[in-house]
Amino acid sequence: MIQLPALCDKARNGGRLAPEEGVLLLKHAELLELGDLANGVRARKNPGPKVTFVVDTNPNYTNVCNIDCIFCAFYRHPGEEGEYTYSVDHMIGEFRRAAASGVTTVLLQGGVNPALSFSYYLDMVRRTIAEVPEIHPHFFSTSEIIGMAGVSGLTVPEVLRQLWDAGLRTIPGGGAEILNDRVKKKISHLKGSSDDWMMVMREAHRIGYRTTATMMYGHLETDEEIVEHLERIRRLQDETGGFTAFIPWSFKPGNTPLEKIIPHYATPVRYLQVLAVSRIYLDNFDHIQASWFSEGKKTGQIALHFGADDFGGTLFEENVHAAANFVNRSSADEVVNLIRDSGFIPAQRDTLYNILRVFDPAAAA
Amino acid sequence: MTFNFRDTSLIPVWEKVQKRERLSMADGLALYATPDLISLGKMANFVQQQKSGDAVYFVLNQKIEHTNICVLSCKFCDFAVKKGDPEAYEMTTGDILSTLTPDITEVHITGGMPADWPWERYLDIVRTICRKYPNIDVKAFTAVEIDFFHKKFKMPVGEVLRQLKEAGLKTMPGGGAEVFSERVRRLLFNQKIGAKGWFGVHKAAHRLGIPTNSTLLYGHIETLGERLDHMIQLREAQDETGGFLTFIPLAFQPGDTGIKPRDRFTSAIDDLKTIAISRLMLDNFPHIKAYWVMLTEEVASVALNFGADDMDGTVGQERIAHDAGATSPMKLAKDRIIRLIKDAGKIPVERDVYYNPLKVHADNVIGKIPYLNSLPFHSDFEKGPFKILPIVPRRMGLLAADGQLVAGLFSLMDYYRNESTLELLDWCIATRDQVKSVMLFSNHGWADLDGKRIGVTDETATSIGLLRLLLRKKYNVKAEFVRLHAGVNSYADFDAVLLIGDQALYHNRHGLAGFELVYDLAAEWYDWKKMPFVFAVWAVKKDLPRETKNALCATIAESLRRTEGRYRAIGELHGKMLRLAPADVEEYLEGFNYTLGDREKEAMMEFRKLTAEVNPGVTI
Repeated sequence: MIQLPALCDKARNGGRLAPEEGVLLLKHAELLELGDLANGVRARKNPGPKVTFVVDTNPNYTNVCNIDCIFCAFYRHPGEEGEYTYSVDHMIGEFRRAAASGVTTVLLQGGVNPALSFSYYLDMVRRTIAEVPEIHPHFFSTSEIIGMAGVSGLTVPEVLRQLWDAGLRTIPGGGAEILNDRVKKKISHLKGSSDDWMMVMREAHRIGYRTTATMMYGHLETDEEIVEHLERIRRLQDETGGFTAFIPWSFKPGNTPLEKIIPHYATPVRYLQVLAVSRIYLDNFDHIQASWFSEGKKTGQIALHFGADDFGGTLFEENVHAAANFVNRSSADEVVNLIRDSGFIPAQRDTLYNILRVFDPAAAA
Repeated sequence: MTFNFRDTSLIPVWEKVQKRERLSMADGLALYATPDLISLGKMANFVQQQKSGDAVYFVLNQKIEHTNICVLSCKFCDFAVKKGDPEAYEMTTGDILSTLTPDITEVHITGGMPADWPWERYLDIVRTICRKYPNIDVKAFTAVEIDFFHKKFKMPVGEVLRQLKEAGLKTMPGGGAEVFSERVRRLLFNQKIGAKGWFGVHKAAHRLGIPTNSTLLYGHIETLGERLDHMIQLREAQDETGGFLTFIPLAFQPGDTGIKPRDRFTSAIDDLKTIAISRLMLDNFPHIKAYWVMLTEEVASVALNFGADDMDGTVGQERIAHDAGATSPMKLAKDRIIRLIKDAGKIPVERDVYYNPLKVHADNVIGKIPYLNSLPFHSDFEKGPFKILPIVPRRMGLLAADGQLVAGLFSLMDYYRNESTLELLDWCIATRDQVKSVMLFSNHGWADLDGKRIGVTDETATSIGLLRLLLRKKYNVKAEFVRLHAGVNSYADFDAVLLIGDQALYHNRHGLAGFELVYDLAAEWYDWKKMPFVFAVWAVKKDLPRETKNALCATIAESLRRTEGRYRAIGELHGKMLRLAPADVEEYLEGFNYTLGDREKEAMMEFRKLTAEVNPGVTI
């Protein structure tokens, strides 16, 4: 078995880590050593002091959901008090307002509402593209796509094909949680297996979609299971190359059934360790996103020195973490300041990581 | 730790840090300018490891703000109100007592400065807390308040402090320093006392044996140069008095404060840099505090890898910071602090007001005597599965009695006291004839010490026993022993003072003001018994698994082997802090025997026998 110093050298020289090596790093490497190694990978992948962000919003079209994940404080059952489902018209109105304030990407997700027909989703995509062309739709998680297959009787590839034909080009990577069925059965037994998430992503990439990948840690998983998660998405990335970025975040226990078992937030140091190991391990991912909205703005800033090269979105609207009493709102100006105060040059990007505008320090002065 | 500098301007600074050379203003500016946050953190972490090993301290404490009525109107403060304001409150001594809970060990008292409180009221608060809660140490009143008392009650600062100390005050907080720059003071804090007044109060406290904290309020209109100048002024004062326990950088909280020198919070990067740079600049400060209430829990926990070794505590009430919009929860539970410290890879150490460790919340912790004389064991120690806690001998014994350390170089007396749970190993710190670092500084010859008051360092467990033996058995006199506390003490109150370790070594070399005579206790013993003296022995918990024990023994033997014949090289930097030349360091270390042989064991027996005769009630 490789010793830690030799392993650090290997990582420093760009060697690909085996799963047991990832575990060793996560368990035993010093925090600043991880930061150093992750910065090295970041510098190779994204040289220069630029940090990107996207001006986006994160609304929800429904909170009705039949999946009952115990880590979620957002969903309501059909008929339950406080449930809502918005019409396509309503959402288009919201997108218009967002576009008027400069939003370029809408990350749209909902619960998995069995009362909605597949045409609702197709309509949502088509009308967004036709009526709010300034907006890039970044719609529907894997669970919703599997839900669409269920209500329509189509296969997942057929659902994805029709959404593609309607104009959808990227899909958010949420819902992965921890890609290990022991964990998934405990926290989200109705959500489908790890293979389901992988299958939807694989099929999407085959059609030509670009997607992100996420991980939610800090609940029942072990270090080994975190690395297993990274290993699975690294393998899929080798196969398809369809992932744009990886976004880890920590479980927020507020108002969730899982709160009884896991009452504490994962610590910021743990986040930086997971983030840095992800950057080192995922040698075939171009981008790692610092999740300021889930970890806090200050942790987000520090994350930029631990391997992250992207600051995520401005999130004009975000409901899921808010339901867990974790509220962190920002605006484009503030995101620019947060990045700049961290010692980097802010650059606005689109969903596919094309740079739209660089906030050059010279130009700002 | 390996370094991988992305910013080459850090390399000359790092070389200085390794040589324990003092950093300049220019060095500080280079550190602030660097984009290489990780290397800066590693440098600060390196220094922190030298000072505190793996320890991060916290305290079970509560904050009392006895009133918010204040005669000053500082622009940045949204806590203070005028008398008659609907928000105004004043706590009686009874109110204060009723908010204290017995599970804390420190109370931090600061407040507004009302025009009509009599002096006796302040003394009464301190006195009553000390009487009702003997386990709670009082840390109270910033320099601004002390200066206010001095002016209002027309007493010299020294007299104000002397009376407070007599009432039970142990230490003072570091608030009111803000930024020492006169430019900034005029613009923002023109009613406060300024650098001269602040230092005047703190130095007076140090002379009276009251250790204090220090702060910097940053992130408003001050320049980086002004921050560094602030640190340099503190460093110079510390050279003079040695009375500062810790430095606490406080991030300015923009909020509803009337002035808006800056409309946003400091960046996390600025916060971490300020922590790390203060650790590097303040080379003579024992501790740097990441005060989570002001810094946010996010930054404070990460700061533990950037040079901070203290998280403050559980803090009951935090009105000042909270009113201006600090986002930390009001009360961070003890277990949360412990978890944050553990996740940072450190050992959570519950401390008292003087930073004495009270409880170690981790397994596999080895106590390390932080003196030059134990360096041959520790300078090249592969710690493996163990964590290292630097701790003075007496405190190590107290933790051992509680089963909180798995091993260590225990003071001989503490080994005897814990003989039932500790197993003796083959190594020790024993003298041949003299020691040079267990010294009695006195104004009287031995025979004249009868009935005199001897101040005894808080750090000793065995030397105090040796002193007692010498007085009683060798010179046939009886003196009164008074325990000193950690940190600065006022020696003027004593006829003689017993010091040990680096402190004794330093004063043996450079003298101790106010004392004419110096006695080496090991030399006195040798002269009397013609025996070596064993001050400390390596011992390990009996219930430690056999393989762990063997691994530790191998490590100790290996450390000694690696340092053998290299005393000058390994001790040079440590000696420099004590202003000792390399040749003196070498001679000092060569005066010890680190292996427990027959002669040493015989000397241990003799000491044990005589001690039992002097203290018939005490079995050791």
